[in-house]
Amino acid sequence: MYRAATRLLPGLASFVVVLVIWELAGRYRYVNPVLLPPPSVIGSTLWEIVRSGALLEPLGQTFLLLFVGYALACLFGIALGLVMGRSEVIYGLLEPLIELLRPIPKAALVPPLFLFLGFGATMKITIVALAAFFPILIATIQGVRGVDRVAIDTARTFGCTGLALNLRIILPASLPMIATGMRVGLGLGLILVVLAEMLAGDGGVGYLILDMQRSFAVRQMYAWIVILAAAGLAINAIFVFVEARAIPWRAK
Amino acid sequence: MTAFLKIDAVTKSYGAGPAVRSALRDVSIDIQRSELVAILGPSGCGKSTFLQIVAGLIPPTSGQVMLDGKQVSAPPRDMVYLFQQYTKSLFPWRTVLQNVAFPMEMQRTASQRLVRARCLEYLAMVGLGGCEDQYPWQLSGGMQQRVAIARALAAEPRVLLMDEPFSAVDALTRLELQSLVLDIWARQRLTVLLVTHDVDEAVFMADRVAMLSARPSVVASITDIDLPRPRDTMGTRESARFLSLRHGLLDTLLHPTAHVVGNV
Ligand SMILES: Nc1ncnc2c1ncn2[C@@H]1O[C@H](COP(=O)(O)OP(=O)(O)O)[C@@H](O)[C@H]1O
Ligand SMILES: [Mg+2]
Repeated sequence: MYRAATRLLPGLASFVVVLVIWELAGRYRYVNPVLLPPPSVIGSTLWEIVRSGALLEPLGQTFLLLFVGYALACLFGIALGLVMGRSEVIYGLLEPLIELLRPIPKAALVPPLFLFLGFGATMKITIVALAAFFPILIATIQGVRGVDRVAIDTARTFGCTGLALNLRIILPASLPMIATGMRVGLGLGLILVVLAEMLAGDGGVGYLILDMQRSFAVRQMYAWIVILAAAGLAINAIFVFVEARAIPWRAK
Repeated sequence: MTAFLKIDAVTKSYGAGPAVRSALRDVSIDIQRSELVAILGPSGCGKSTFLQIVAGLIPPTSGQVMLDGKQVSAPPRDMVYLFQQYTKSLFPWRTVLQNVAFPMEMQRTASQRLVRARCLEYLAMVGLGGCEDQYPWQLSGGMQQRVAIARALAAEPRVLLMDEPFSAVDALTRLELQSLVLDIWARQRLTVLLVTHDVDEAVFMADRVAMLSARPSVVASITDIDLPRPRDTMGTRESARFLSLRHGLLDTLLHPTAHVVGNV
């Protein structure tokens, strides 16, 4: 308890200092408080949003889309990564294509996706899945290729080959790498879902932030940004928690 | 009668074209059922390569390995390989018990209860009773190697191939594990092929010692170890016969050119 406190204290202190400076800068008019309201004002607006229950619907919408798109990215990224990591032929076949598609900033694909999928959930799920897919795929391929020869040979001497080898040895052995890719993918997915909501104008936290700005509800805009930041922090914390329990040998 | 495990003119080169490197040349050894043969040779002479060919893990460039009259082309079911890198051969996502149970899961013959009972029995045999629910990475090096040994034995193989199994543990643990393996070998009438660069270990454990020369390796000599069994960690090592066998082998290792007699 004490050690945790001493570890967190310096970070917390700098956070408080920034808040205090921000607060004072607003009050003493170093910045225009209409454009950047002080944290106390944003805080009370935030509290109103939370208390009124207006929080749940947009947040639920945004994170449901993120979750579905991310789950698809994990599924396909890991499955294809396993196949490409294990088969030189399939790797040779698909690698040039993937190297071509991977560097495209996925944000640039939102407008064309509007054309094909409209402005609804399908489009947003697709863009999240696309954004998260590539880092997961690349990490899985690397993880699979990096599985130690000795672990594979050990399994082979016990008669573990084919699909059983892939599922019982290759997959768990590459889990630390896969998790790294999944974490990067999660961050990209969050960015893309917010961006897609802003451009689509069909609800969600991203849409709200832009809408508040356009209607000059500056306090509400900042409050929603804070909500988004807190939610992002929370899912990252959940990710780290699950990761530590699923891959306890990583620290070693 | 042909040998139980027949290694016949095995040759192995790595690479191709001008970069080709020859590791083994015409290595032949016949091993009888329940025999413990040590393969001795300097580092890098191709001992691991040799053992992996015997295990069916890599194909020889030419020559063949016959186990009980059948050619080995893939890892045979009743042959188990104990890797030099035991840390990497244990699966960190499985507990000690789950690691030891792995070969039985693959064979799918025994019931869950029976598997658990057999695993605990072998863990107790290697002195790891009570560690079954820990993870390999929570154990010391010596304990990890014991887990690997327990797993190898739990597969109930007929042939046990060991690649410098004790080279990475401390000296005291090494002595304990040598005696442990000898005990189990005698009890289960296993056929053991033990690769080592440790002359002491080879003489202490083996019925016969095959010496490999430097690369490209040929069998430089085969020595019968006529020490009485059961062998005693201290007594055997202090006997005059042990010392003279050890002297002879060490001499061959240190002055190889004077002794090479070609293939045996
Ligand atoms: N996969 C491989 N590719 C190329 N050369 C190899 C490979 N494995 C081993 N060698 C070479 O073969 C020789 C014998 O290696 P190894 O069997 O590991 O020897 P030892 O186990 O006796 O130390 C070494 O010179 C090594 O560099
Ligand atoms: Mg070796």
